[in-house]
Amino acid sequence: MKKTTLIIVTFLIATMSFGQNDLPDIKLRSLTGDEVRFNSFGNNDTLLIVSLWATWCVPCIQELEAISEQYEERQKEIPFKLLAVSIDDSRTTQRVKPFVKGKGWPFEIYLDVNSDLKRALNINDVPHVFIIKKGKIVYQHNGYVAGNEEELFEKIKTL
Amino acid sequence: MKKIQLLVFGLLTNVFIIAQTDNGHFSGSFESYTQFYHKDDKIGAVVPQDKIGSNNFLKLDYNYKQFTAGLQFEAYLPAIQGFPFSENSGKLVNKYFRYTANNFSIQVGDFYEQFGSGLAFRAWENRQIGINNALEGANIHVAPLSFLTIKAIYGRQRKVFAYANSNVRGLDAEIDFSKTGKTTPETRVAAGFSYVSRYQLYTGPITDFPATVNATSTRLDIGGAVASASFEYVYKKRDPHDANNFDNTSGKAFLTNLSLATGNFGALLTFRTLENMDFRSERESLQSIGLMNYIPSLTKQHDYLTTNIYVYNAQAMGEIGGQVDLFYNAPKGTGPGGKFGSKFSLNFSSYSGHNDSEDLFSFGDNEYFHDLNFEWKKKWSEKFTTIFLYQNIFYNKLVIEGEPVPDVKTNTVVLNALIKYAKKKAARFELQHLATRQDKGNWAAALTEFSFAPKWTFYLSDLYNYGKTDTHYATIGGSYTNRGTRFGLSYGRQRAGLFCVGGVCRFVPAATGVTATLTTTFN
Repeated sequence: MKKTTLIIVTFLIATMSFGQNDLPDIKLRSLTGDEVRFNSFGNNDTLLIVSLWATWCVPCIQELEAISEQYEERQKEIPFKLLAVSIDDSRTTQRVKPFVKGKGWPFEIYLDVNSDLKRALNINDVPHVFIIKKGKIVYQHNGYVAGNEEELFEKIKTL
Repeated sequence: MKKIQLLVFGLLTNVFIIAQTDNGHFSGSFESYTQFYHKDDKIGAVVPQDKIGSNNFLKLDYNYKQFTAGLQFEAYLPAIQGFPFSENSGKLVNKYFRYTANNFSIQVGDFYEQFGSGLAFRAWENRQIGINNALEGANIHVAPLSFLTIKAIYGRQRKVFAYANSNVRGLDAEIDFSKTGKTTPETRVAAGFSYVSRYQLYTGPITDFPATVNATSTRLDIGGAVASASFEYVYKKRDPHDANNFDNTSGKAFLTNLSLATGNFGALLTFRTLENMDFRSERESLQSIGLMNYIPSLTKQHDYLTTNIYVYNAQAMGEIGGQVDLFYNAPKGTGPGGKFGSKFSLNFSSYSGHNDSEDLFSFGDNEYFHDLNFEWKKKWSEKFTTIFLYQNIFYNKLVIEGEPVPDVKTNTVVLNALIKYAKKKAARFELQHLATRQDKGNWAAALTEFSFAPKWTFYLSDLYNYGKTDTHYATIGGSYTNRGTRFGLSYGRQRAGLFCVGGVCRFVPAATGVTATLTTTFN
């Protein structure tokens, strides 16, 4: 029995020595239908902004428009990438691709059709933005009012 | 005893080390929505005995490597007015454990899942309208080949604080043809097949009664860089139950989406036809309880006070129709774009009954609903942006709400102006008007909002029904946000009517009082 315990303890300690990132292992779809695992974005050194949004959410669209207007300019200051993850369900998910074209957004767009990522990140309402650095969530903000993008860009500089 | 102590000590050390080395990840959320009601004869607000409604949700998840476990505690103290149930207690409702590997995952406990577009099966949660159709059982995903994904589910459906008296099992397979070859083609072609089955014990006198109801769904998705197309056909075996008035025929549905996205232009064409597609975990369930599949109204989801008065509710018993969406981005520096750019969108949706209930593709003369709307967003300067919206609606109140009154025809205009007068300070104004000769007549609305990013907002709004009822629905409120936490407080009147989120609706009663909302996310 003692041996068993020892083995278990050793095993448990051993399994912990592996590092990992904090991003949940959730499958998203790209606009062409390919599966992408959300935690694969954690391996990247570039600062990441993840915005959860929906085509029916007016403040979400305002936020992405506001970021989009300054996107290229801000990227010159500090390299970062924005992933816009739509939580549109099958009522509106088909609208996402043409909608994004009609907005001219330069972001990478992904689909979370049955809210798996929304649940895994424990988000109550959209819009909700995260800043992710080396697989760790370093900042988040719920809701959008005009000017929140300024706060987001300021945070990026300090992180 | 000593051994147990050693084991416990070992485990505690581990937990401690996990925290120390930042291995393992803990996250959660809390949401509270509380209303304090008071009497208001003008709008016919019914005050519950306790004068309070409070819906609360606590969710916790812990992830360590490939393992995730979590739970959800819900407390209705009691449920807010107009909710589909009137529980007055709390319960630990969802518990799950999941193991995820590269080509395999298994979740036991309560889970959410969706096959295809959800027409045959969807288990989901929507707290605003009181839907939680999670299954308690097992959910296995396997990808034995790079181009094949299989999902297998088994369980019983959650029914408020209990479980439905039936078993649900299902299988879904998807083949991605673009991964079958050595090279990846530019166009992705995928086909899927789902099977869902529900068994509920039948003890009545009918000998050939279908205690088990099966539904199958076949789908095809073609996705290119510019154009995409998707098709889905669902067949559901005969399933007489309360919600379909014991209709003994089978159910059928066909859905197709065609989309185009190129340059600054996007377009979507949707067509859907349904016949007898109400599918429940229990034959006795009504309204939004016990839904097994997802039949949203495929219309544009609006977000303004006056554009949300006449909202379509999809008719699972039979409807045919579709919608067209056009999006155009006029970039900066072009003619229609002006110096700062401009965006246009046009949407038209229309639904009606079938001429012949046997023929899934027969367009009927009885129109249920249409919505024609046009939106123009223009940025005039660094500081000033406007949105203009026009909407024309046809609303068959007899079919949608069961009220035998003349069809409602409306014309609505909305003007939304945003003035960003400082880097983090903005003011927003909305002016709206809905004109109609039917039902309750005209509505006018105004809203003003001041925001001080990223923390504070204040707003004042009034929705005024004039001519017939002369009633003001005024609300004043504000919110404070700090990172993942938000607190909102408002006071005012709530209009009785259909409240829809994600295309599923419930009726909310008229209410007056204080509403407090607290949401927080920790990661």
